[in-house]
Amino acid sequence: MQEAISFTPQLVASPIAQMLWLIPALPIVAAGVSALLGQPRRKTAAGLAIGSMSFSLLLALAAFAHVVGSWAGGVAARETVSLTWIQVGAVNVDLGWVLDPLSAAMLVMVTLVGLLIFIYSVSYMAHDENFTRFFCFLSLFAGGMLTVVIANSLLLLFMGWEIVGLTSYLLIGFWYQKPSAAAAAKKAFLTTRVGDVFFLLGMVWLFAQTGTLLFYNGGSGSMEATALASLLAQPAALGLSAAGAIGLLIFAGAAGKSGQFPLHVWLPDAMEGPTPVSALIHAATMVAAGVYLVARVYPLMQAGALTGGTTTALTVVTWVGAITAVFAALIAVAQNDIKRILAYSTVSQLGYMMAGLGMGGVAVGMFHLITHAFFKALLFMGAGSVIHGSHEEQDIRKMGGLKSAMPVTFLTYAIGMLALCGFPLLFSGFWSKDGILEAAQHWSANRAPFYMLVFGALLTAFYMTRQVAYVFFGQTRGEKHAHESPRVMTLPLAILAFFAVALGAIGTPAWPWFRAFLDGNAAGFDLHGFAEPGLLALMGTSTVVVFLGLGLGWLLYGGKSPAPEEPDVLEKASPLVWGWLRNRLYVDEFYGVTVIAFYAWWARVADWLDRRVWGGLVTFVAWSFRGWAHLNRFLDTNVVDGGFDKGCEELSTGGGLLVRVQNGRVQTYLRLLALAVVVLVAILIWSSRA
Amino acid sequence: MNYADLFRVTLPEFALEIAALLVLVVDLAFLRKAAYKLRIVVAALLGVAGCAAAAWAVLQQGSGGLSFPASHELLLATGGFTAVAQTGILTLTALTLFLLIDSEFTRHVGEYVAVVLMAASGGLLIAGAQDLLLIFIGLELLSLGLYILTAFAKSSGKSAEAAMKYYLFGGMSAAFLLFGFSYLYGISGSTNLHQILLAANGIRGQQAAPLLYVAIVLIAAGLGFKVAAVPFHLWAPDTYEGAPAPAAAFIASVSKVASFALLISICTAALHVFDRSASFVGATVQLSTATQPVFPGFRVPWSLVLTLFAAGSMALGNLAALVQISVRRLLAYSAIAHAGYILLGLAFFSYSPRSAGAVLYYVLTYGLTTIGAFGVVAVVERATGSDRLDAFLGLHKRSPLLAAVLLVLFLSLAGIPPLVGFWAKFNLFATVLGVSAGPVPFALVALAVGLSAVSLYYYLQVLKRAYVMPAVDETPIKAHPVTLAVLVLIAAAVVALGCFPALLGNWIGSFSPMM
Repeated sequence: MQEAISFTPQLVASPIAQMLWLIPALPIVAAGVSALLGQPRRKTAAGLAIGSMSFSLLLALAAFAHVVGSWAGGVAARETVSLTWIQVGAVNVDLGWVLDPLSAAMLVMVTLVGLLIFIYSVSYMAHDENFTRFFCFLSLFAGGMLTVVIANSLLLLFMGWEIVGLTSYLLIGFWYQKPSAAAAAKKAFLTTRVGDVFFLLGMVWLFAQTGTLLFYNGGSGSMEATALASLLAQPAALGLSAAGAIGLLIFAGAAGKSGQFPLHVWLPDAMEGPTPVSALIHAATMVAAGVYLVARVYPLMQAGALTGGTTTALTVVTWVGAITAVFAALIAVAQNDIKRILAYSTVSQLGYMMAGLGMGGVAVGMFHLITHAFFKALLFMGAGSVIHGSHEEQDIRKMGGLKSAMPVTFLTYAIGMLALCGFPLLFSGFWSKDGILEAAQHWSANRAPFYMLVFGALLTAFYMTRQVAYVFFGQTRGEKHAHESPRVMTLPLAILAFFAVALGAIGTPAWPWFRAFLDGNAAGFDLHGFAEPGLLALMGTSTVVVFLGLGLGWLLYGGKSPAPEEPDVLEKASPLVWGWLRNRLYVDEFYGVTVIAFYAWWARVADWLDRRVWGGLVTFVAWSFRGWAHLNRFLDTNVVDGGFDKGCEELSTGGGLLVRVQNGRVQTYLRLLALAVVVLVAILIWSSRA
Repeated sequence: MNYADLFRVTLPEFALEIAALLVLVVDLAFLRKAAYKLRIVVAALLGVAGCAAAAWAVLQQGSGGLSFPASHELLLATGGFTAVAQTGILTLTALTLFLLIDSEFTRHVGEYVAVVLMAASGGLLIAGAQDLLLIFIGLELLSLGLYILTAFAKSSGKSAEAAMKYYLFGGMSAAFLLFGFSYLYGISGSTNLHQILLAANGIRGQQAAPLLYVAIVLIAAGLGFKVAAVPFHLWAPDTYEGAPAPAAAFIASVSKVASFALLISICTAALHVFDRSASFVGATVQLSTATQPVFPGFRVPWSLVLTLFAAGSMALGNLAALVQISVRRLLAYSAIAHAGYILLGLAFFSYSPRSAGAVLYYVLTYGLTTIGAFGVVAVVERATGSDRLDAFLGLHKRSPLLAAVLLVLFLSLAGIPPLVGFWAKFNLFATVLGVSAGPVPFALVALAVGLSAVSLYYYLQVLKRAYVMPAVDETPIKAHPVTLAVLVLIAAAVVALGCFPALLGNWIGSFSPMM
């Protein structure tokens, strides 16, 4: 468990903190402008998206540098800017943004990975007729995601969250002509919506309890001591405090977005979207938003924990994360679609992050989030390059031998793969995963998550070896000749590969810079970090596990090139288990016969009610209103005017119609006026007598 | 109040009057032979400059907050919600002047602008007036201006008809109002609002109460006419239909803001006597909420009359609008409905600035939106020669920009979030419920919300023709760039103020030190 974090409160925010809103605003403006552009303006759209993202990256870097610069004496700055959005009587709803180590680190990651993927997309989507629309959606997504990152208010975060959900829907269904893409988009939207409902409930509850949705506000924010103490004192159901219950509701939202079990079903289907989308949204950023959200509301989750202890909320987070990690890794073993393997791997790694948050604190989970974002984006873009190079083929059994045809892709992909497996010492994934395993080892509540995560690491190494062996080694099984992708696609790969290796340096036990940065401690280089009890043994264990996974994978799949129709090696060994894994443990089918069947039944009931009961009622009300309105008009034109018109017709034969109407109506009006005055006086006198 | 003070507080009115005279002089003396277009631009710009100068003066005065000086000779209040209303009046006047640039219903632009400015100065007067005589002078200055503006399209019979009706109705109302004022003077022996209301609160016995009731009803009739509240609304549809578009926009917005500001003054004065903290020197009796009389003389019957107005206006306005086929008449009935909502806020009024703030928020945003709506109607009318619903068929093909503006403005009038109309309604209704908790206000707010839903029907009738139904004629509609710019600006403001609802609320609140 981490210790309480101390931050210096800043009364007046620095200029860079004041300007932080520009970071999400620029891509949103770019999206708005490119939405107005015509389809042929492809270059402008791409230029706008990339330009705005570059500016955002520069600003993010400046903000990051500012936070690092202010991080003196072991205490990091937290600057907030807030403004009143809605004011009703004495109730204010404030929006605001925050610049602290957490948001600064995340900002740099999102803008950097985002920019690289934008550049990559220019080439990847070059032949698509809806190129402009694609960049409009991508920019809007980036704006929403960056809003989530800088938000200092749960409400602003939720707004960004919903933009992100919307653009995710739009981009998964980007090729809406494909029925499978349209279905996947709907599935993603509806599944994440289940989580969002809980999130919204938690938000409303938090507002009702604390009267503010700001996280930090100079002592009166909802994540600060006063509010937390009052939340803890408030009992909810099942022995939970209000803090724990709200934390769990918010976690349900996070689980939906981050594809945690049992809401993970949408993420693999989301691979129907274009590959850059998968890389950006469904690997690096949006799915990590859930993890980020948990990190943001961590004080709430942690509230009430004794030193070294844990809370119900964090325990739930840990178990959900650990189960997801193993569950998804198991399924990944038996998939044949290159992107689906990566998708399940993402689900599994998100489980690691959640478990890391639950057991080790913000820094442990966030470090894996950052490193994972780089190497998973790398893997997805590598996969995109492979798919592009082998003419839109996605089945790994139909590839093979691409090592020589696509050398750059192979090299970078291998780096990403080794980082994901947690290959010792050299790769960032090793250090971040090790941090999680270490936290699990020290977790006092239960040992099971540790073993589950170690098993997950074994599976990860195994399925990635299987994939790489199928795709890059052996003989070519595809019909067409594969080719290397253009420079504009491979260059981002190379940059990401660099980070996949280099990022490990800031999170080693000897120099835990990132952890100290997030936790607000002083960072120092100290080789004794390795000498902590059990650490070397743990590193040894995970090294053995990784080599075991790699070795097993290579033994079973390496150097062989089975025909696409041939059953898998493991399938021959145990068709039953393989069948279960192949069919994703039948979770979708289970939902189909339970939840979806129930909805279908309920929809029929509602349809019946609508047609028979409410429809009749509405028609009745509508008709009565129309009757009223017609009566009114009738009175206005016939009784008020008509009566006098008739009188006039009798009296006067000459004179224009205009004159008659004019005279008649005004006199009637004035009579009515006098009548109204008399009636009102009568009402007043009568009411005071009563 | 000495003359130096009086000059200081009437600086904005002076600015407008000087601008009005300047416009007349420039137009009649220097631009006699000039082209019509040039004259209209010069006159409108001079008028806008006058409004800007007056607004500057208002904001200079407005920094201190609304004060009730000790003297019972108080004539005019400055600062506080008066400053808000006056700034609103001037802004909206400037916008209607911009709409003039594209119209050609009259050759006498100098006179038109001068009358607009004089009417606006009447509006400024009643927004701040605390004395019966000043209220009456201000009202007459405003009303006479409006009659002239309605009749300004001299070649149009409709315009003359509308003006005649408006004038006769208005004259009668003014007579009622004056009659009511004379009763009040008789009861209290003073023309100062606060003195009168203080005296009125002393009336508890049965012997004088009927006199007070007659006075209340007569005054309510006079002011109900100004805001077009049922049953004194009969002039509104005819006038809205017949008046030239910029004049109709002026009547629908500026005159409404000024009249509601006056109603706020009266409601505030009625409650002022109950307020313990604000001392009112010159009064021997200090009434406090703790020792409220069993029968508060003025407030309860006044609230009752306003409640009746509100309920009637909401119901009749919304229902009658459903069956209109002329968009101008539709807007008139919708104006009656909106007046009903606002009257609800005045009927359940609190002494804290919250009620005044909510009412001003509503009436300012409503005025802004309705000017835009009349602007669009005017452009369509010029192109098609009619303001019937069918004139809007296929508008989004004929002018996508105009159709988009219409969409924003009408949805805002219907109260659809995130447009400003939603927040105005929300604020107002929340304030009503916050001020008085009881079955009656709750039922009325429920009625108001229900009728807002009904109102969506007739607004969508227009939008359906603009967007959904097939066009009969697809020739593009051209509008003057200035008109288009003003309309787009208004629509943008409606969206922006809706997305950041606290902007306007904070600005209004900044004038009231208590908020």
